[in-house]
Amino acid sequence: MSHDHSHDHHDHGHRPERPVAANPGMDSGSQALTEALRGSFVIVKFVMLVLLAVFIFSGFFSVGPQEKAIVLRFGKPVGDGDKMLLSAGLHWAWPYPIDEVERVPITEIQRVRSTVGWYATTDAMEAAGNEPPAGPSLNPAIDGYVLTADGNIVHSRATLRYRIADPIQYVFGFMGGSNAVQNALNNALLHAAARFTADEILTRDIAGYNDAITRRFEQLAVAQKLGVVVEQCAVESKAPRQLKMIFDAVITAGQNRSKVLNEARSYENQTLTRAESGATNIVNLAETERKARLDALGADVERFRALRPNFERNPELYRQQELVKVMGRTLTNVNDRIYLPDRADGKSRELRLQLNREPLKPKSEAAQ
Amino acid sequence: MKRNLLTFVIGGVLAVVFILLLFTFQVRQTEVAVVTRFGKPVRNLTEPGFKGKWPWPIEKHVKFDQRIQTFEDKFTEDQTADSVQLLTMVYVGWRISDAQAFFPKFAGGSVSAAERMLESILRSAKTATVGKHSLGDFVNADPKQLKFDAIESEIKAQVQAQLAANNCGIVVEFLGIKKLGLPESVTQAVFERMTSERAVLVSKSQFEGEAEAQKIRSAAERDAARITSEAESQAIRIRGEGEAKAAELLPVFELNPALANFDLRLKALEQSLKEKSTLIFDQRTPPFDLFQGFPTNRPSK
Repeated sequence: MSHDHSHDHHDHGHRPERPVAANPGMDSGSQALTEALRGSFVIVKFVMLVLLAVFIFSGFFSVGPQEKAIVLRFGKPVGDGDKMLLSAGLHWAWPYPIDEVERVPITEIQRVRSTVGWYATTDAMEAAGNEPPAGPSLNPAIDGYVLTADGNIVHSRATLRYRIADPIQYVFGFMGGSNAVQNALNNALLHAAARFTADEILTRDIAGYNDAITRRFEQLAVAQKLGVVVEQCAVESKAPRQLKMIFDAVITAGQNRSKVLNEARSYENQTLTRAESGATNIVNLAETERKARLDALGADVERFRALRPNFERNPELYRQQELVKVMGRTLTNVNDRIYLPDRADGKSRELRLQLNREPLKPKSEAAQ
Repeated sequence: MKRNLLTFVIGGVLAVVFILLLFTFQVRQTEVAVVTRFGKPVRNLTEPGFKGKWPWPIEKHVKFDQRIQTFEDKFTEDQTADSVQLLTMVYVGWRISDAQAFFPKFAGGSVSAAERMLESILRSAKTATVGKHSLGDFVNADPKQLKFDAIESEIKAQVQAQLAANNCGIVVEFLGIKKLGLPESVTQAVFERMTSERAVLVSKSQFEGEAEAQKIRSAAERDAARITSEAESQAIRIRGEGEAKAAELLPVFELNPALANFDLRLKALEQSLKEKSTLIFDQRTPPFDLFQGFPTNRPSK
């Protein structure tokens, strides 16, 4: 505004001199120039105002919920320690040459993957199931693997999910923070594999192997001051694809073994159950026999006691009577009764009997 | 007058800005810088902030990122102490600590030139270190014999010594093995060995399974036999007890042995003639003794 005014003043001051100028054409030319200058000054002023506004407003920046920001004034962080971290919200800083804003993802979980121990493949190929076929050997330039404690080759890869716990260190300490994290993970994978045997990595101690990787990574993170905290470390291991058949055979053999063992156990079960029930039978039978014997004997004793007075009164008569009674009863059951009186001459008789060995199977006899 | 003052202020501000631009520069938290006078490094700046210098062409400043950067070398083959060809790849966390030393060393402070030097130092350090260790130091199930960390620190120490001797302005913060491998032909041999190991495992689990199953079966049979024989001995004892009790009753029969015997014989007779029997008797057998005195069918003879 003041500029505008001073310009007017300038014009005013020169006006009385104009008539003195001999050339009226010249006068009108300078007037046109003045007009043009005045017009462009207005534009320049407007542009300057806009620029000023832009300059001031460009100092505003917002920090998202998943990040923190650090303001660098002349290259130095503003604030001390944790105070230099700006939380979510709207903030203001001087525009570029004075201040700079550095953003750090913090609550967001980061993810890196170590594939130094995995054969050449990509996620897409893996998902589609058309991974390149395995050759007879592993080319160190292409195929990754880890060497196990027993000198074997196993594929193993780890996926680490981590959080940045110390953003200042993560940002100001490393040029590529995630790169350093990934290499620490690579090293942890390799170090753990060097202590575990192939069998432990693949089947027997998967959890222990996983733990060893996580522990080693945590040690490295502390030692190298990576400023990160492990959220989760997932490890996947696989026998070389070249050996799939023989590794499967081991699994099958293991299954067969448990099948054979299960069969043996069921045999054991059956045998013992049978033996136990047999044993119970034997004991019960003995028990029954004992009882029957004693019962019978008891009955005999009772009977003996009852009969004794009769017998002692007249033993001979008693004998005869009882014998005849029994014979009478018995003879009704006997199949063949043969009466063979003595010969008149007193000589003994000869009697021939045909003894049939199998009298109970007349039908089979007929068949013969 | 008003206009002159304003022009003066604007001009002054512009001049200050221009002078500042000429005479000062910023060093960020993450940077180190060196000031050169006529191309010769004269001042080393390691602290961040606003710094002064003489304007170009007298003095110039060069800034370097001083944060740790990771460098990975090539996967190279060396021979271990036990004559195994082993491929190793290491990663190094290094940073520029001294810009004044770094700048003249590598053609205007080229990071890639520094990495090339780092690589050649690593190459010899790796060869020397791998050659001193056997494969069992790199991989071992026994944590006491595993010298993984020792190997890493040996390489690191050699690299550090070399860097210090060269005065490169570089510091190695950490070093680790990134990858271990065997030559391609050896992997095939390893596969063969692994295959035979697996084959042993297969037959082992087969035989062990059968042996164990056999053990279980025979143990079961032994136990069954024991159970049966125990039951039998118990049965014998039970019967014996029965006999003993019976023996206690037997004296009753002694009161009249004749009756007891008669009764027993009578019972035995009845039992033996119970079924399917043929009885041949003569006239002396009661009750057929009643036939005695009857005439026979051949009385004349």
